[in-house]
Amino acid sequence: MPDTVLVILILGGIGVLCGILIFVVNRVLPKEPGSLKKAQEILENLPNMNCGACGFPGCFAYAQALAEDKNTFFSNTCATVMQQEDMLHKLEEILDIKMDPSVIDKKAVVKCFGNSKPAGRYNGIKTCRSASKIAGGSRVCPYGCLGYGDCVRVCPNGAIYIDPENKVAVVDPGKCNGCGLCVKECPRHLIELVPSNTNIIFRCSYEAPRNIPNRPKCDLGCLGCKKCFKVCENGAILWNEEKAMPEFDMSKCVMCGKCIEVCPHNRLIALSNITKKQDPCTPDSKESVVSQKEESKTPEKQNDIILQ
Amino acid sequence: MAVINNMVLSKFLGLCPFFGVSKKLSNAISMGVAVTLVMLLASVSSSVIYNYILVPYNVEYMQIVIYILVIAALVQIVELIIKRTNLNLYNALGIYLPLITTNCAVLGITLINSAENYSILESTVSALGAGMGFTLVLVIMSGIREKLDLADTPESMRGLPIAFITAALLALAFLGFNGMM
Repeated sequence: MPDTVLVILILGGIGVLCGILIFVVNRVLPKEPGSLKKAQEILENLPNMNCGACGFPGCFAYAQALAEDKNTFFSNTCATVMQQEDMLHKLEEILDIKMDPSVIDKKAVVKCFGNSKPAGRYNGIKTCRSASKIAGGSRVCPYGCLGYGDCVRVCPNGAIYIDPENKVAVVDPGKCNGCGLCVKECPRHLIELVPSNTNIIFRCSYEAPRNIPNRPKCDLGCLGCKKCFKVCENGAILWNEEKAMPEFDMSKCVMCGKCIEVCPHNRLIALSNITKKQDPCTPDSKESVVSQKEESKTPEKQNDIILQ
Repeated sequence: MAVINNMVLSKFLGLCPFFGVSKKLSNAISMGVAVTLVMLLASVSSSVIYNYILVPYNVEYMQIVIYILVIAALVQIVELIIKRTNLNLYNALGIYLPLITTNCAVLGITLINSAENYSILESTVSALGAGMGFTLVLVIMSGIREKLDLADTPESMRGLPIAFITAALLALAFLGFNGMM
């Protein structure tokens, strides 16, 4: 027998044998469950980012749960789907449900303006979670953003970045889909979900009564001057006496912007302006220049403590 | 085969899953087990084919093509089994499961077996050793990388660069086992 024919026979024979083997294994093994096909169909209309914000380990696990019980969509809503209309409509068709997107259309905001001074040199693991555990945190303000970017790492959309100037996390409202992962991640609970039609947010979380001894108050934080509370004609700003902080009732706000103008430290800011740079003439930057000068004259010895 | 002639760190075979699946310990273990299983099955069937078909008919030069065919079929079967029995594991392994087909460690072990003229039993044992060595290195690497994620590495070294350096240091450490022989 010529060599070529032999080789073709051997190769073909082994190939056929392998094929038969796969066929047999396919038959012997239990069939795929019926819900799996539906899960696959649902999966096509999910974002497939596997962010885990819905509470399931990934989009596929979420699709499986949806295939078994469609009410899961109401208890564990996928925030990303709510932002994408065509996906949502297809999903509604498959699952035979109706959703009102305006109910859960939310954006995350960071309630801190940053720029709090470091409390000492911090050489530990570069995460907010570990920095917040040592001596009340690596920054002077006990309620301020630590700026190590735990929220940046957890964001599935890359919507959060650390402002290099103020060392504070900033959420880009255009990219945020309100999944809420960063809210859970922040060790200082500075991030909050607000309805996306909100226009005014308050970027400070300093609560006066929770003041920690030997920690100076952030000199850029809320003064508690009540100016915003007094200027608001619609009663949208309430004063929380206990925390010495303003509180907002967004249903009454008419977006007149008076509170933004009157705030001496620019802690109140419009959501749409959040990623834009601050005007250099605002009281905020003036003050920071002054405080920096003062600081350079009298260097505090306290800053030399090394936090390990 | 497991430690001294380690597949990954001494022979530099199977580097693709070594860097691809070594981010999480749990995935690394299941990937190692899957590769070991495929190696075992491939070694047994390939040494049967080599000793009883290729050698008697004098067509040893066909071994690479035939081994690839056998390995591809075996990977298909393993993939089917994992998909039907443990769907979450199937999703976790992702693209690296069908990529076992092209894993050079699997083809490498079958070729080494035939080059050394191992019998069926000998090649089974050598495949088991190689598979265990692969799993061991994958587990060590993923353990180190899990810890490295928390370390304060310089910006430019984060991720894969530091993983390459770790792999080099691991290879150096495994080279030390050679001296024990």
